[in-house]
Amino acid sequence: MAITSEHAGRTYPATEPYQVSRAKIREFARAIGDDNPSYAGPNPVAPPTFAFVVASNAWEAMFADKELGLALRQVIHGEQRFDYTRALRAGDEVVGRLTIDQVRLRGAAEFITTTVDVRTTKGEPVCTVTAQLIHNREDATSKEVER
Amino acid sequence: MTEPTPLTIGNELPSLTVDLTRADLVRYAGASTDFNPIHWSDRMARKVGMPSVIAHGMLTMATALRVVTDWVGDPAKVRSYSCRFTKPVPVPDDDAGTELRITGVVSALTDETATVTLTAVITGPDGEDVKVLGNAKVEVDRG
Repeated sequence: MAITSEHAGRTYPATEPYQVSRAKIREFARAIGDDNPSYAGPNPVAPPTFAFVVASNAWEAMFADKELGLALRQVIHGEQRFDYTRALRAGDEVVGRLTIDQVRLRGAAEFITTTVDVRTTKGEPVCTVTAQLIHNREDATSKEVER
Repeated sequence: MTEPTPLTIGNELPSLTVDLTRADLVRYAGASTDFNPIHWSDRMARKVGMPSVIAHGMLTMATALRVVTDWVGDPAKVRSYSCRFTKPVPVPDDDAGTELRITGVVSALTDETATVTLTAVITGPDGEDVKVLGNAKVEVDRG
């Protein structure tokens, strides 16, 4: 099976709740080399792009959807956008719900735009994470997949 | 915010230069839980047409945003952030890594928000600047 434009609009169930912890914020800030004091202390905010970690959890449902025939190792990240209602903070418990917005085919490449709505388990919106993924079909040769 | 008074379109933010090494990619993979092998296996990277292991686009994007969050101080002021990943950032298996140079300029203003356009470049094989992010824009609260 392969993903087609007919899969646009498909939405997956929300992820299991993800609890944002001080330790994870510290680990992520260190991984991006950022010593901003807002990421430390007793009540830190998460670096803005940390929202991607929650969003990528929501991708798992799409990659597990056998009808689409997607493989993570065949994916290149094309575009990324974050729209924040507020910053993620330590102690937040959030879920992500993924929707496939658009699918375009170009040669062996499938351009897939997804939106993940990230909100707290109480329903408070936090941010929207929009990604364009370029999926190169398994049977493509390396020459075909160069952009 | 350390706003120059008055803030005007064209204001340049302090730039940032960061060396990304394989160790940084491994650390980011763990912290972000993005274990796509193109970020740690040359063999798998070449299979999808890359010259070698490449940095996570999200690591480049996160690093570039530091120009803005260092400037505004409070990262919670970021309202939106978007970019295209125009060119891969190859990271060699050596100690030096790949130098990423980021600049930012104020490109739009409203009473409430400032938009910063970021430019992120690496050095190409012939010594030329290679832009790795396209149309990278950050909107922040001015308050």
